[in-house]
Amino acid sequence: MVDLLVLLGTYAGVFFTLGTFTILYKENPWYQISESTFLGLAVGYGVAQQMLFVRQQWEGQWSKSSIMMFGYLLALLVSIMWYFRFSKKYFYIYRWPLAIIVGTGIGTSLRTVMITQFLDQIRAQALLNLWVPTSIYPTTINNICMFIMTPAVLLYFWFTGADSRPGFMKYVDVLARYVMMAGFGSAFGYTVLTRYSLFIGRAQFLLGIPPNLPEAYPVFIVLSLIMLGTMIGYDLMKKNKPATK
Amino acid sequence: MSFIEKLQNIDRRWLYLLAWIFVLYPLINPLGLPVPIQKESTAWNKAVNDIPDGSVVIFSCMFSIASIPELYPMTIATFSHLLTKNCKIIVATFWADGALVFDQTLLKQFDPAKYGKVYGKDWIDLGYVPGAETAMRAFADDMVNTFPKDYINSQPTGSYEIMKNIKTAKDVDIIVSFESGTPGVGEWLRQWNTPYGTKLIVGCSGVSAPGMAPYLQSGQLSANLPGLTSTAEYELLIKRPALAVAGVDAVSMSHLLVVLLVILGNVGYFATRGRKS
Repeated sequence: MVDLLVLLGTYAGVFFTLGTFTILYKENPWYQISESTFLGLAVGYGVAQQMLFVRQQWEGQWSKSSIMMFGYLLALLVSIMWYFRFSKKYFYIYRWPLAIIVGTGIGTSLRTVMITQFLDQIRAQALLNLWVPTSIYPTTINNICMFIMTPAVLLYFWFTGADSRPGFMKYVDVLARYVMMAGFGSAFGYTVLTRYSLFIGRAQFLLGIPPNLPEAYPVFIVLSLIMLGTMIGYDLMKKNKPATK
Repeated sequence: MSFIEKLQNIDRRWLYLLAWIFVLYPLINPLGLPVPIQKESTAWNKAVNDIPDGSVVIFSCMFSIASIPELYPMTIATFSHLLTKNCKIIVATFWADGALVFDQTLLKQFDPAKYGKVYGKDWIDLGYVPGAETAMRAFADDMVNTFPKDYINSQPTGSYEIMKNIKTAKDVDIIVSFESGTPGVGEWLRQWNTPYGTKLIVGCSGVSAPGMAPYLQSGQLSANLPGLTSTAEYELLIKRPALAVAGVDAVSMSHLLVVLLVILGNVGYFATRGRKS
């Protein structure tokens, strides 16, 4: 026997999933209800989680000594300064926490960004093995392609802005454009794959395919008929209604 | 207006209807299309299989509720695989929804106790910490103080047996992360892999896969499981066919539809291009 709360949650899930999908027909109240509920829940949950973290930090370590308490209060004060974003008069105060956050973030990532995303990538490119007898296809072919394509794309941007390109560089430009088009095509293809995967996941939920609850399926049929019926019916009524002067 | 011109101006709602049909039909009537095993899923399976006994694993759901349909099947499959291994699992996330995803969806499917895993001794759920990359750095330097209390019991993290010898990133052997954006692979690499040499494997949504390729090629990333199709292959490899295998027919059919529509669109474009000029 399924728990009543779980069942209600499933029904609500079906309702809001279908409500969100109704945007495919047109903007409508079902969609607006679902959108607002989702946004409200997401923001509310996020705020609650962050507040929980603030409380746990206090109980976990910052309440242990007076110096740490002072540090905690200082952090709270800085966080309150964020709200001056909504004041025209004291807007400048908001820039202080912003500067701290941006500075901390950049400082933290700069620690290793040169190694992780620059030097390691150059090293990997330089160490490419151009002949792998055990795997001519795909490894050898892939490595040769990477060996040629990566510098080609870099050179394309390196010389952007020059008035005239030397003869050989024109061929590099053409190659780089094709490589970038292939890259963008791959990214777009994967984007479509992701969108469909998201849709398939929700469709599995609506159809009650295990481990989703099978109770979702009949509700899906009923609610989809109601939602479609109301939207199409409203449109038809509007169409048949004589225009008023 | 000719048929070709009509094709150029087709109402998008008909295309959505077609998409529904192409997805729902194979889900209701599975077609049983073959699922060839590719290198990504094989590498992922090997990476999880090769985790040595006694290893410490960070298991991280770095995605929101919105990405559940694509990332949930691979998260379930990998978690179930990990539970069969003799390793210690620390669940932590830097996405607000991540803790909820793990607690409300994954734990409903699996009771680690059934696999002989004791909470607080063999695995622990630390929940969520805000702060993204800064928090990930803090977690690497001091795990207990970054997550002062666990997520499930709200007890001091340091009081659990599992955390007695796990203090910093140096004590962790591998990160298994599932993600759909930032913070994600870049942050793990910058704050864990580069400074501490912690091994990293990432399951991601399809849209993130091209971004993973440079890290995979350079060896910074040990394995990558992109999207639903690779997950289906992985489910078959671990002999646990589930949601991804059930959905792979729909993936194939939906791709078929996209290819057909691209061909139709191009036919319409090239047929009418001369007339317009």
